[in-house]
Amino acid sequence: MSAAAIAVLIALGFGVMAVRRRSLATLLVAAQALLLGVAALSSAGGHRAGFLAAGLILLVRAFALPLLLALTRRRTPEPGLVAPATTVVSRTLVATVVALLAVAATPALGLADPAAEHGAVALLGLGIAIVAMRRPALLQVLGILVAENGIYLLAISVPGGLPIVIELGVLFDLVLVVTVAAAFTQKIHGEVGTGDTDLLRGLRD
Amino acid sequence: MTDSALAFAALALPLAAALLVVPMPTPGAADLLNRVASALTAAIALVLAAIALAAAPETAARGGWYVLDPAGGVFLALVAVVGLASAWVSPAYLRHAGRGWFSARGSHSWYYAAFYLFWSALLALPLTDNLALAWLLLEATTAASALLVAFGGSRNALEAGWKYVVLTTLGLAVALFGIVVLFVAADGAASGLDRLDWGVLARGAAAMPPQATLAAFVLIVAGLACKIGWAPVHNWLPDAHSEAPPPVSAMLSAALLPTVLLIAWRTELALEPALGDAARSLLIGFGLLSLAIAVPFLWRPLPWKRLLAYSSLEHMGILALGIGFGTPLAIAGVVLHVAGHGIAKALGFYVAIPLLRRYPAAAGRPARGVARDSPQTAAAMSVSLATLAGLPPSPIFVSEVMILLGGMDAGLTAVSAIAAVLLALGFLGLAHALLSGLLGEGGRPQRPPSRTARPVARLAGAAAVALLALSAIAYALPGSDLVEALTRSGG
Repeated sequence: MSAAAIAVLIALGFGVMAVRRRSLATLLVAAQALLLGVAALSSAGGHRAGFLAAGLILLVRAFALPLLLALTRRRTPEPGLVAPATTVVSRTLVATVVALLAVAATPALGLADPAAEHGAVALLGLGIAIVAMRRPALLQVLGILVAENGIYLLAISVPGGLPIVIELGVLFDLVLVVTVAAAFTQKIHGEVGTGDTDLLRGLRD
Repeated sequence: MTDSALAFAALALPLAAALLVVPMPTPGAADLLNRVASALTAAIALVLAAIALAAAPETAARGGWYVLDPAGGVFLALVAVVGLASAWVSPAYLRHAGRGWFSARGSHSWYYAAFYLFWSALLALPLTDNLALAWLLLEATTAASALLVAFGGSRNALEAGWKYVVLTTLGLAVALFGIVVLFVAADGAASGLDRLDWGVLARGAAAMPPQATLAAFVLIVAGLACKIGWAPVHNWLPDAHSEAPPPVSAMLSAALLPTVLLIAWRTELALEPALGDAARSLLIGFGLLSLAIAVPFLWRPLPWKRLLAYSSLEHMGILALGIGFGTPLAIAGVVLHVAGHGIAKALGFYVAIPLLRRYPAAAGRPARGVARDSPQTAAAMSVSLATLAGLPPSPIFVSEVMILLGGMDAGLTAVSAIAAVLLALGFLGLAHALLSGLLGEGGRPQRPPSRTARPVARLAGAAAVALLALSAIAYALPGSDLVEALTRSGG
């Protein structure tokens, strides 16, 4: 994958950290998955099974999962945008520091493409930072997907690729977990009246 | 039946039960199916465990995805026994559970469906011969068990379930990242999925690039630590264990956490030729930190299930120390500790069924004076907490001594000394909690005696016998073939 495409992936990740609308954040994650899916298809080349697996992964990650999250968003209407705990500038700053620290702290991972290594680590760090800093449940699910996109970037950069059984197994588990998380999002909204997870603070010692 | 047929049946049976229980017309029919399916599943799993325990690592039976080795045998037996007991006490919990996440009418069926999916994945984990397959199974346990954690449907249960699904999924994402890095580092060891088999990793570890292998190991273990509940990434653990239905809390604490620990252990043993002491140091660090974080909470007046949850953090810390020390004596302690903790902790959570039925307020504050009004429940509490505290002659007392002495054997006397002080403090905290729970003033039952107290008291009797038997065989463990096999391979 080219350095420019990896930069776009990271910029989309920063977008998820910055935006307030859940619909826009979902689109940004879908765009990330689409970009990764196209790269995976082109690297699969003439390998028929690899091409089919990459196509299936693209369909699920770039279309099916965002559609599921869009439906979840429609079923959990917010009276107004959930007020973020921090300003967009401080969120972006924290995300930048986390991504840079993650890249700096990770040694060479042995891939032929250092840009892909750095991009994957940065996306993993960004995903964790999004989960930690964003309050709406749906945005936290999107944070998980940003981290998973980082792993997928690493996976498609592995020389010869990962075994198809691992790629499809990970995809199956991802669908399972996102479905469960979407069900939780609806339940939380039904119980609290909003998807703001900051209101779930009953368990303290 | 052949090994492979048994391994297949141990997973297929609970999966089939999960599918069959959904259309059951009445809660009674679902309960009946649960009793039959759990007995069959546990019987097959225990036969497999016996085969695995009898095998030497070099002659362990292997199939396309599984291995029947001594390490897997210990944990498979644990998952089978805890799963069976949890299945059998579940009707007592469900009888009074009412409406939660699901409607009251369908709650039995959906509870059992999620329970059997969770149990099936848990049974497969000790059997799997491959790191990537183990990861896939771990992620599957998250999806099924998250629904069970939030089964009660209350705001607190939703909070606990949400934290659990988000934090453990993120942790497993970090572990998966490490697995991809390891796949690259192990290039040349084998092709395809086989490259991540435990045996292939162990044989090829010495030739792996040290820096990338260390990075992979740190990512894998740090990710698994989220699921094991090691400090400082344990935030979900007290909440999920305290809010889940008691039979599910037992599965989480007594079966899931140790089984994930087995995956970390197998990874450490496989990569040791490439990493040397660095791998063990990481485990010892997690172990000491978990002990240090858990002990202050054991001194606080916590509700019963929350106290048990922090005790899980303490015991996972001890196990991390034992694996990190890695000497034969410490490994003997680990085997004994896994079994003793599993039995005592599961019993502790089952006690919560009659306890919370008779004293609903005990869900939010410590129970008091239980011996006065509920002697059967008090007896079960005593067996569980006295064992978890490490009161002699419980197997946990013996296992903790073995692990600490094993640490000294490894030349880590200072670490053993710090751990001994923390364990002593933990013992005092739990002993105080037990005495005030049994004899303290202030607690009055809000409901009449519960019918669920009697079966839990019977379980306590069986658990007491099993725990004493473990203490008796403990002295034969050091130097045994089982520990020798575990020290050499961990599977």
